[in-house]
Amino acid sequence: MTAEIFDADIARGEDLARKKSFGQGPPPFFAEPPFDPGDRGEGSNTPVGNVFLAMLLFIGADVMFFAGLIGAFVVFRFGAIDWPPFGQPRLPIAVTGLNTLILLVSGVTMLQTWRHLDDWKRRRIANGLNLTALLGVIFLLVQGYEWAKLIRFGLTMQSSVYGAIFYTLIGCHALHVFGAVIWLLVVLMQLQRNQFNAKKHNSIKLAGMYWFLVVALWPVLYGLVYLR
Amino acid sequence: MSGTATKSPDAHAHQGFLRTYIFSLDHKMIGKQFLILGLTMLLLGGGLALLIRWQLAYPEKPLPLIGASEQFVTTGDPDSTSSWDRTWTEWLSKEEKEQNWLTRNVPQGVITPAFYNSLFTMHATIMIFFVVMPILVGCFGNFLIPLMIGTRDMAFPVLNMLSFWIAVIAGIIMIAGFFVPGGHAAAGWTSYTPLSSDPQWTGVDWGQNLWCISLIILGISSLMGSINYITTIINMRAPGMTLFRMPLAIWSLFIVAILLLLALPVLTAALAMLLFDRMAGTHFFAPSGGGEPLLWQHLFWFFGHPEVYILILPGMGIASEILAVFSRKPIFGYKAMVWAMVAIAFLGWIVWGHHMFQSGMNPALGTTFMVSTMLIAVPSAIKTFNWLGTLWGGNIRFTTPMLHALAFVSMFVIGGLSGIYMASTPVDIFIHDTYYIVAHIHYVVFGGSVFAIFGGIVFWFPKMFGRMMNEKLNKIHFWLTFLAFNGTFFPMHILGVGGHMRRIYNPLQYEFLKDLQPINIFISICAFVLGFTQLLFLFNMLYSIKRGKKAEDNPWQANTLEWMAIYPIPHGNFAALPTVYRGPYEYSSPEVEEDWLPQTKKLAASAHGNGHHG
Amino acid sequence: MLDWLPPNVSTYGGEIDFFFHVIYYITAVVFFLVAGAMIVFLIKYRYKEGRRATYTHGNTTLEIVWTTATFVAMLILALVSKPLWGRIKQHTPMTQSMVTVQVTAKQFNWEVLYPGPDGEFDTAADSTAGTLDDYQVDNDVHVPVNTVVRVILKSKDVIHSFFVPQARLKQDAVPGHTISAWFEITQPGKYEIPCAELCGFGHSGMLGQLYVHTPEEYEAWKNEKWPPAPVAAADSTNIEAPQQ
Repeated sequence: MTAEIFDADIARGEDLARKKSFGQGPPPFFAEPPFDPGDRGEGSNTPVGNVFLAMLLFIGADVMFFAGLIGAFVVFRFGAIDWPPFGQPRLPIAVTGLNTLILLVSGVTMLQTWRHLDDWKRRRIANGLNLTALLGVIFLLVQGYEWAKLIRFGLTMQSSVYGAIFYTLIGCHALHVFGAVIWLLVVLMQLQRNQFNAKKHNSIKLAGMYWFLVVALWPVLYGLVYLR
Repeated sequence: MSGTATKSPDAHAHQGFLRTYIFSLDHKMIGKQFLILGLTMLLLGGGLALLIRWQLAYPEKPLPLIGASEQFVTTGDPDSTSSWDRTWTEWLSKEEKEQNWLTRNVPQGVITPAFYNSLFTMHATIMIFFVVMPILVGCFGNFLIPLMIGTRDMAFPVLNMLSFWIAVIAGIIMIAGFFVPGGHAAAGWTSYTPLSSDPQWTGVDWGQNLWCISLIILGISSLMGSINYITTIINMRAPGMTLFRMPLAIWSLFIVAILLLLALPVLTAALAMLLFDRMAGTHFFAPSGGGEPLLWQHLFWFFGHPEVYILILPGMGIASEILAVFSRKPIFGYKAMVWAMVAIAFLGWIVWGHHMFQSGMNPALGTTFMVSTMLIAVPSAIKTFNWLGTLWGGNIRFTTPMLHALAFVSMFVIGGLSGIYMASTPVDIFIHDTYYIVAHIHYVVFGGSVFAIFGGIVFWFPKMFGRMMNEKLNKIHFWLTFLAFNGTFFPMHILGVGGHMRRIYNPLQYEFLKDLQPINIFISICAFVLGFTQLLFLFNMLYSIKRGKKAEDNPWQANTLEWMAIYPIPHGNFAALPTVYRGPYEYSSPEVEEDWLPQTKKLAASAHGNGHHG
Repeated sequence: MLDWLPPNVSTYGGEIDFFFHVIYYITAVVFFLVAGAMIVFLIKYRYKEGRRATYTHGNTTLEIVWTTATFVAMLILALVSKPLWGRIKQHTPMTQSMVTVQVTAKQFNWEVLYPGPDGEFDTAADSTAGTLDDYQVDNDVHVPVNTVVRVILKSKDVIHSFFVPQARLKQDAVPGHTISAWFEITQPGKYEIPCAELCGFGHSGMLGQLYVHTPEEYEAWKNEKWPPAPVAAADSTNIEAPQQ
């Protein structure tokens, strides 16, 4: 019976199995699996590579995380009679507006870097990543400075729901920027060590995609939380 | 675990024990690990349920085996012949600090109200997050996706391994909550705020925190899993495996992965806010500080309703596989089945308010949510009718997986129909928060998902462990489970109609519930039978892994790709990737003599070459 | 199964029960049709050596028919349920004789507040004018029969749910919200008011009593329990909603 089902394909496969002898030798802990993971069979057509698809999915999940927090913000913001509540400081619109520009510019520098990836202009890529990371750091420093002021003015997590949702939402974004900066620095380090080349530079693209997420989220948050 | 797997000459011969069984990158082993996690937690979650049932049938009576004598409990006068009475006297005479876990939670063997609240909270949490999700999504998702779409492994094997071990860490944290001072979370699995957001209302301190932390960690595990599943299904299908040639089980897991990906982050956001309320002094959910208690319910159910479909959709997929194989027929209306699942998944996002009809939410919204909720009946009905259509004209083999699949369909019908009562806003006023809801959720999640789990385990056992399960024991287990299940949960509808509230500790405190107590006792007896019957299944599994009849490569004469892989399946599954020529359900096709036609079988060019619609 | 419903004593309870019965009969018929068809198929098409199953991939007409039929049935069911829901939860009937009580839930009691002879709940102004006349008691709700009773629900700590099984009324009391509910009971008697939403370790046994009196009894109870009308009594004909 089996012979009928497992036609030529399987027979050929068993042959191959014997030749390849899967899983020989003690593999290191995070070893490649004992087969060619790129083996998709003939005629496979994948417009978006695995890692990029995974990154897009992760970004989708991250957006839903922010959607949850933004939903909470909207409930508080539009359910409140006074916003900001009496005695609580207003948010620094102008400085943060400037900061928004800085982050948007970092998005542009990242986009420029991304354009150089395919023709692999290594120096420009390194400069672009450096500049992007620098702008990200500036953004974080300005945010941190403004936060320190806000805390001095009495806006804390405990002072009101206004403060709590502000620090949670904006803080989550700041953590994302922080993570993205770290990621850029790691990628830069790998670039310095010549771990990338014209063919192999997925990590830079992934870091770039993540950077675009944190840049794209910010204007939404700025408009919603700072402007009214 | 799998005695036979070690004998594989190819796969694992040279990979030490750790790499083969513990930190395996092989999707099949990870699937089996999720199965073990789920079944272990099933024992725990089931045990909690039996404690709940004891308390409801015999309120404030001492537990059997460890309890003191009734005389001691009622009069405080120990029975000198009872050794447990002496033990309890000794334990309870100590200072509060020196007493043990038992004296705090079940003094004299009587469950305390606070511990009772922890019991049903953790019963639901464990069953939903650590039994049904790990088995249906974790085990079957991992085991089936690469095999059924014909690829070598998941797209990201390391991520897959991490996903399992992170789930284990979440499980350990969740169990640890039982042993912290203040006891485990006791605000229900829905953890409505402000009850859950401030320790002063329940007296539970770290239990609730650990509950939040565990679920956040589990969310990370699920995120890893769902990214892996979606990527694998989109990018790694075997040549010829078009989307509409995928088995329905894969479709269901694909849709569930998308739901998980998008729903769980919302819960994570809500849990983070809850943790901040508990630990950082914020007042998101506490009105005393300007917070909004209903916000939690909105966020929770925005996640929670898709979650319900996460629990049932894989069951639908598995039942569809089994029904087609044992009816020896193509699935009736394959595309309608797929679109019905897509519709269920989509509608699942806009119905969350039906959990909140009586919550004080603007009643005008109630009507909107009622309409969207009622519409979910449409795709559910499509699925049911198509399952019936699949049975029609078949040549039905009554194997155990088939019995479980049939039970799935009929129990899902009851669970679906009882949902209409809650969707109707006026009727919901009465049955909201009663045992009617408990009956409904158990018909869907136990009658649905758990029967699908049993069916799936028996069905794929030959591919997982290379042996058949004992059919006689399986049949006994099925019939006992089916009868005891209905004996346990059907009468809960009656309790609900009688007005019996859920989550109450002692129904005898209410005059209008006194007449219902015999039903409670009947339910509990059935529940004990149901609980102990499951040990039979576990025994059968363990026994069959070691001693079961050796399985053929395709014991059910099925079409899908996993049956083309030869046991023991090496890491990498197929020696050469299969090529797919047709849909998954070409049973009794006129093109061949046998009544099955595998997806991989290349037919000589025939006159009616367009015969396959899949 | 529906015989187990607690006997209905409220005006709208009968209508809820009517819908309950309608859905009950619809679902029962659907269930027996589906289960019947399934059993017939299982017997008729059980395994027989040598028989071949019908080779079919489905039937588009059938799919359209049962999709449309379910869709229409569900939509109708939703639409006919709507007016009753609106009447119970959205619009409190305003009548001359309406009685208002304020129920504040707290772990683990219902704190019941009656407006007293002036028909209005005390405010800060009453406190300064010395016209306090509210009557407060735990867990006992006394109302007259055949009268619209408006319940103003509040909560001091966590979410509770005000449930009168025989009146078919259930409404959560949410801290930070003031929620209005109403009922009109047609039979004098004593009914229970359990809490239906988990509210802590004392949730079970959080129980109030609803005493529905004949008009005479109600007057007698008022005369006995309520404080006398203050000297500067407010306009007692004013039945508008108190400002809370």
